[in-house]
Amino acid sequence: MFLLAKSGQGFRYPKVRPSYLHVSAGICVAAIMLFIYFPLYPILNESALISVTIFNFLFIFLLFPLEGPLFRKVYLLVAGNIVGLAWHFIKSSFGATSVFYLGADTLKIITVIIGPIIDLVWIVSVWSLGLSMLASTKRRNEGDGGRKN
Amino acid sequence: MILVLNLIFVLLAIFMSAYLARHYIFTLTALYRQNEQTHHAPHDTTNQPAVSVLIPARNEEKVIGRILQRMTELTYPKEKLEVIVTDDASTDQTSRIAEEFAKKHEYIKVVHRSLEEGGKGKPAALNHGFKYVKGEIVYCFDADYYPQRDILEKLTVCFKDPKVGAVQGRVTVLNEPDTLVTRLVALERTGGYRVDQFARDDLGLIPQFGGTVGGFRRSLIESLGGWDVDMFAEDTDLTFKVYFAGYKIRYVNDAECYEEAVEDWQSYWRQRSRWAKGHMQCAFRHLWPLLKSKNLRLREKIDGFLLLNVYFVPILVGLAWILGATLFLIYPPSWIKILWVFVPLSIYSSVGNFAPFFEVGIGAYLDGRERIYWLIPLLALTFVFNMLICTKALMDLCVSKITGKKRHGWTKTLHNGRGNCYISNYNKFE
Repeated sequence: MFLLAKSGQGFRYPKVRPSYLHVSAGICVAAIMLFIYFPLYPILNESALISVTIFNFLFIFLLFPLEGPLFRKVYLLVAGNIVGLAWHFIKSSFGATSVFYLGADTLKIITVIIGPIIDLVWIVSVWSLGLSMLASTKRRNEGDGGRKN
Repeated sequence: MILVLNLIFVLLAIFMSAYLARHYIFTLTALYRQNEQTHHAPHDTTNQPAVSVLIPARNEEKVIGRILQRMTELTYPKEKLEVIVTDDASTDQTSRIAEEFAKKHEYIKVVHRSLEEGGKGKPAALNHGFKYVKGEIVYCFDADYYPQRDILEKLTVCFKDPKVGAVQGRVTVLNEPDTLVTRLVALERTGGYRVDQFARDDLGLIPQFGGTVGGFRRSLIESLGGWDVDMFAEDTDLTFKVYFAGYKIRYVNDAECYEEAVEDWQSYWRQRSRWAKGHMQCAFRHLWPLLKSKNLRLREKIDGFLLLNVYFVPILVGLAWILGATLFLIYPPSWIKILWVFVPLSIYSSVGNFAPFFEVGIGAYLDGRERIYWLIPLLALTFVFNMLICTKALMDLCVSKITGKKRHGWTKTLHNGRGNCYISNYNKFE
């Protein structure tokens, strides 16, 4: 909360040094996962693949360079992908069940209108969760765990 | 017809992706180039020009005492400091409280506007106060703000560069824990200042003057003719006038100042509606001069173009959403599935002056925050709100253009002074 007190003492912030090695490792992990996804194409449609790719892109290029153990980042990336796939399967199952009650056309309209938001819910949430965990690690490493905000 | 609609959809997708790319570049810049700001220098005690602080106030009895007390605690040499409170025909105790401070401290002055001449808005009050200014550099602070003690030193150091015409400090929310709205506003501020403004300054683009927590060269304001009383966003208007005049604006992230953020959705609507109208007014006024200006480099023109149009983005995102859904249902070509991705991504991108979720998250990370990330998904609420606000603002602006009605009044946010309870906590840390 009290940013003034923290940063008001000096003119320099601690520099964030990007970890390019972690980024490279993240790209490799994401590539491996994509190779696994492609054979599943009929089950995983374009919508699922695109949303997972966006998540991977934002996660690898914005969170992997940050301070934190590589193992944790890879774990979060894989977990995020699993959540994304699970989200897609739940959505598809819900759609398949709803067709019976709503009809294919109604469901299509609903999916098209709210689909973009629905897909982004998991991306933003899981990405934020990953950042939160990395920030906690950073704070612990700095030995300043008192400022909870 | 379908072809035309498809073309419009593609153009909208390109427009939105331009904003996305811009914010992605800003985020990376804030993360990895943060030690390269040239004005990050120790306080220079040999370069302390006479400065004046303008505080326009209309019925601010709950908060005026707080900022005036803070003015007395500033570390800037008092013999070079002048504080001018413009009491804009207040009907409460604002005038009395300010006069009490003026009696005790000779560098604090209060100028009054009568009931007849007062109440015509913040720009008019600033222009009135400006008549009494003697300092070489003129700073503006809103009455509900609470700056660092050494904020003037941090901001003034930028004016060593003769090309710098104005400077802007960072705004942080004081009453963040109060409500969901204050927390979301705090998130927006984090993205907007810690990443957005910081990166624009670092990349040599156009950091925006926010109307408060910032200052100008007095000579520049005089040459520009002061604040335009007809503008809803006189700060954005001045930002572009400064650049057209051949000067630039610097943003100083370390010069922090607290504000009392709006606490409920109704106040949020009013405030953002004013900002949206003002920004759109500026877009209509400055787009063409921006493109023609010889004082701006190409990258500044591109950034200025995107900055001026930022409040149209929520409307265009809504339009793209409706258009995309319609095309998808009546004539679903395969490529629209790919472009459809830009709609949700843009929802979190450049809505109003807000940042996309990753920009806000990285801003919070750079501030050393831990828990606030949980609220990031709720920024979608502000998106929906801003889509409505900006659409209505555009309609209002069109109506006022047709009817010829101009702005002449305060459309201010009411401050209840509840942020005072955080000041004592803050002082313990200082």
